[in-house]
Amino acid sequence: MANLAEKLSPLHELAMPRSGSDKIILSERLCDSLVQVQAWPDSVGEVEKLINGTRGKRSVMPTGPGRWLIDDPAEGLEDKLRKKIGAELGAVTGLTHARVVVSISGEKATWVLASGIALDFDLSAFPTGTTQVGHHHEIGLTIHRTGENSFDLYVFTSLVRSFWQWIEKASAEPGFSVV
Amino acid sequence: MSAFRLNLRDGVGTNLSDKSISFSFDGKSYRGIEGDTLASALLANGLSIIGRSFKYHRPRGVFTAGSEEPNALVTLHSGGRTEPNIRATEVELFEGLVARSQNRRPSVNFDLMAVNQLAGKAFSAGFYYKTFMGPALRGHKATRFWWVCEQFIRRAAGLGRGTTIPDPDHYARMNAFCDILVVGSGAAGLAAARRVAASGVRVIVCEESARAGGALASSPDFIDGEPAREWSADQIAELSAMDNVSILTRTTVQGYFDDNTFFAIERVTDHLAHKDRTVPRQRAWNIRAKSAVIATGALERPMVFAGNDRPGIMLADSARRYAVEFGTAPGRAVAVFTNNDTGWLAARDLAKAGVIVTAIVDVRTDIEASIRVLGEECRATIHSGSAIRSVKGMRGVNGIVIATYNELTGELGADSKTIACDCVAVSGGWSPAFHLTSQQGGKPVWDTELQAFLPGDPLQKWHGAGAMAGEFGLAQAFRSGEEAALKALADTGVAMPKQAAKIGSGPDIDGDEIDYAPAPVFEINSGGKSFVDLQHDVTAEDVRLAHREGFVSVEHLKRYTTLGMATDQGKTSNVTGLAIMAAASNKPIADTGTTRFRPPYTPVAMGAIAGEKYGHLAAERLTPMHDIHVESGAGMYANGPWMRPETYNLPGETVEQAYIRETKAVRAGVGIVDVSTLGKIDVQGPDAAEFLNRVYTNGFAKLPVGKARYGLMLREDGFLFDDGTTWRFDEHRYLMTTTTAGAGRVMEHLEYYRDFVWPDLKVALASVSDEWAGVAVAGPKSRELLKVCVKKCDVSDKGLPFMGLVDGVIADIPVKIARLSFSGELAFEVYCGAHWGSALWHALMSAGRKLDVVPYGLEALSTLRIEKGHVAGPELNGRTTPHDLGLSGMVSSKKNFVGSVLLQRETFSKQDRLQLVAVKSLDGQRIRGGSHLVAGSKDEPGISQGHTTSTCFSPELGCYISLALLEGGYKRHGEKLFATNPVRDAHVAIEVLSHHMVDPEGGRMRG
Repeated sequence: MANLAEKLSPLHELAMPRSGSDKIILSERLCDSLVQVQAWPDSVGEVEKLINGTRGKRSVMPTGPGRWLIDDPAEGLEDKLRKKIGAELGAVTGLTHARVVVSISGEKATWVLASGIALDFDLSAFPTGTTQVGHHHEIGLTIHRTGENSFDLYVFTSLVRSFWQWIEKASAEPGFSVV
Repeated sequence: MSAFRLNLRDGVGTNLSDKSISFSFDGKSYRGIEGDTLASALLANGLSIIGRSFKYHRPRGVFTAGSEEPNALVTLHSGGRTEPNIRATEVELFEGLVARSQNRRPSVNFDLMAVNQLAGKAFSAGFYYKTFMGPALRGHKATRFWWVCEQFIRRAAGLGRGTTIPDPDHYARMNAFCDILVVGSGAAGLAAARRVAASGVRVIVCEESARAGGALASSPDFIDGEPAREWSADQIAELSAMDNVSILTRTTVQGYFDDNTFFAIERVTDHLAHKDRTVPRQRAWNIRAKSAVIATGALERPMVFAGNDRPGIMLADSARRYAVEFGTAPGRAVAVFTNNDTGWLAARDLAKAGVIVTAIVDVRTDIEASIRVLGEECRATIHSGSAIRSVKGMRGVNGIVIATYNELTGELGADSKTIACDCVAVSGGWSPAFHLTSQQGGKPVWDTELQAFLPGDPLQKWHGAGAMAGEFGLAQAFRSGEEAALKALADTGVAMPKQAAKIGSGPDIDGDEIDYAPAPVFEINSGGKSFVDLQHDVTAEDVRLAHREGFVSVEHLKRYTTLGMATDQGKTSNVTGLAIMAAASNKPIADTGTTRFRPPYTPVAMGAIAGEKYGHLAAERLTPMHDIHVESGAGMYANGPWMRPETYNLPGETVEQAYIRETKAVRAGVGIVDVSTLGKIDVQGPDAAEFLNRVYTNGFAKLPVGKARYGLMLREDGFLFDDGTTWRFDEHRYLMTTTTAGAGRVMEHLEYYRDFVWPDLKVALASVSDEWAGVAVAGPKSRELLKVCVKKCDVSDKGLPFMGLVDGVIADIPVKIARLSFSGELAFEVYCGAHWGSALWHALMSAGRKLDVVPYGLEALSTLRIEKGHVAGPELNGRTTPHDLGLSGMVSSKKNFVGSVLLQRETFSKQDRLQLVAVKSLDGQRIRGGSHLVAGSKDEPGISQGHTTSTCFSPELGCYISLALLEGGYKRHGEKLFATNPVRDAHVAIEVLSHHMVDPEGGRMRG
């Protein structure tokens, strides 16, 4: 996949770096590879092994029965997995352009998220390294906890600007920076 | 400060600091002390009339010291922040607070509308129902008479007025999860919170007031050797320091819903003079708790007697709190009128704070000696077995007239005695505040001893504690709080060591031991005007009148008299009203029953409910090319959740001129349009072909790889559901496109069939609407344009035939190109990853520059498809079948598909069904959407034979046209009718045409 055009974030200048409070740190990124894998009911274990066998630096996020969202820091994961899994075991869908990752961290991160998302962000209910599927009003979200106070939110591309406007507004009370 | 401010010292003014602050009421400046409520500050300044009553405009003063206040409603702030009907008893005073009285003309002290009192009988129970049925005036029906009266009645009655100026404040929400929610932080709540917090579970404590502690804040008792308020402050500090405990003050739990979900409002900045604009004014909490301890205390209730609404008459415990917590005397000389021991406690504490208590009037004769001592301590004259016959004074209290009272018969003696006083502190007993548990369905139970309703059996996981559960007194509160805590812990499944699961002995209490049960006296009926519901001006006689008129159910009583229906929801009036009703019915109160409380517990600002959604109702979906459209000057408008370009207007161009220009440019040359909004669903799996074959009306089993096909979907009932093209990428992988509006419902439809109807099929479905940016390139020069910029594929007619699909590259962007046409012209749809959408658009515009390519918007897109006769949302309206829209050829007779059985219903074959046609304007007038097709003139149009669906000006035909659904339309081409639209005053002569108005043979798009 050489010489591809540069991708443009739908957030444009909205997510330009800004210094402010470190109680909330916001950032955005586009994925190099974001892939959904859906295993057929009789091949869940086999597909899981295939996914975990090539884990590396990628985040593998379970989002449903026999379903995973995989964020890989290298391009081309969709084709690789499709060859590996094949139609007889499951389906591989590329979502690299379908989501924008909004990252939030800082001591008030769970407080800000809880102000708009009806999920229990307590570590006992949502441990680090796990994923939950939720929504902020009509915006569906896949939320991956990367640390005690840090989260990656996979937001639908067409709605990410509305979501960013909300999260900035919600972060204004404790104060925030954009990096 | 006025003579009403007491000498502040230890135990007097416990809520106050030493900081003086200024505020205004009705335009006049006053001073208060930090810690005051607006009510306490007004009382301290000697103001007794705070508002006017709802119907009769009677002068009213402060009646309580809490959120149950029925009288002292004020309007706060000004401009966009104007907020009416706020209880002065809950408003925390801050520097510069602006408040004004309401429902008065011209002033609260001189209200011309008080003339309503002269028409008292006319405004009795159900007066507006009777007005509806009032006498017919000459030339008027009865209802017309009501219309005339209504405007005057509405102007005369009411509370405060709001504003239409937008609210400048913002509001927020919070979702919280906990193991145990404790509602209320008084003695019972604190005991429960301490116990559950010690077990390590997650605890949230909600307290309505500014400070946690509830009634302990003004309690005269000592706990573990400390004054109760200091002991509670220590406990709260300890709880606050625990990681597993959150204490929310100024937070009223307003509602209790299913799944142990509680709705609470936190007043975040209402009490601040200088508000940080980043901080919300109020925060709405949704709290999901595994279990809850409800320790909301009890509300004191009054007794009803003649003249009981005079300013200066208030609840006894509230009078006590004004003295103890706010260092404010409720009057210069206070008479206490009670039917229970707590009235005596109030008298004692008032006196201890420095208030003169002139008399204690108790309806009871059998009063414990230990209680009588309290009266002696405050040097009041004691009148047991007595009651108030009347109140002296018109705009306040000058004195009371008392008489001997027979507790058993409820009769007053012939004697009378006048007692001088300017304040009457009344206690008629206590009503447990079980509003929350009543909301979730537990039917209250009458307790004859306590003369109060108690919460019924829990239907969810909650446990009552303290006065709310009928456990009055400090020791009982602590014990019941711990008991409730243990039950709540059991709900959460926390394993408790045996020792820890025992009820402790509780702290040492040094305080009053009294009997909280009142004498069953609710009303002293001496014939004067006696108010039950102070806020809605409902009198005891209104209740009896309602009963006489047949409203014997409490539910009917409430609605007929409006008892308990105002902003206070009858917190101080419900039980008394029921008791009077029961007496009138000659039934016990237990048999009379009570109404169910509904959320919210107190009025809630609409802004707090709207939360952060204030100002806009839904998130906007933007295509990857959104900014380009905006920068190009396109008028953007909402099309469902999507923002889409309407037209790209040139300077001075109207929308109509713009879309005509854009349409012509496409028909003559080439144009590009953003079609990224189309729904897109990834369909994969070994059974994907079979799956598609079952959901579409036409065959998909044999769609070749590298080809696309137009398909129709039906609902189970045979009506059209959605349409779109599906592209086959490889053996097991398809991309289905749907209408923009139908994407969500089609996905649900497909998932339902995949999961529940055909679970044996191996098919995966994924929404990829946001994965792809889409641009349609349309017009006779579209292939020419693509040839300029596309690499690595052949877009010639041979390389990319009609409905063909190829992969290519444009400006280093991998693209998929399908030869499809919605416009009827030679056209292609070019898809790429959404993050490359802008780059693709620029590349196509750049490639087409020499061909004079134009971007076109939704109006031109629509015009092109209307001219071509392609159907869209207005025709797929849920009431049409493929046969109605000329699409019978798309319905396979060789297979079953969703809707195939019911599509064969006889009614769908009738020739007089509404069928798709086109109509054109014969007189140059614009045809309006939704016009009815009629045969008659404007004055006598006759019955509707159909209606127009999608309208535009057709540059191709040179006139206004519309698609339409016309009865038996297929056989009526050439017929002349009218498109009538009386709402828009339009009656247009039209001719019926075939809906294939442009290139009916399809040569252009296949060329």
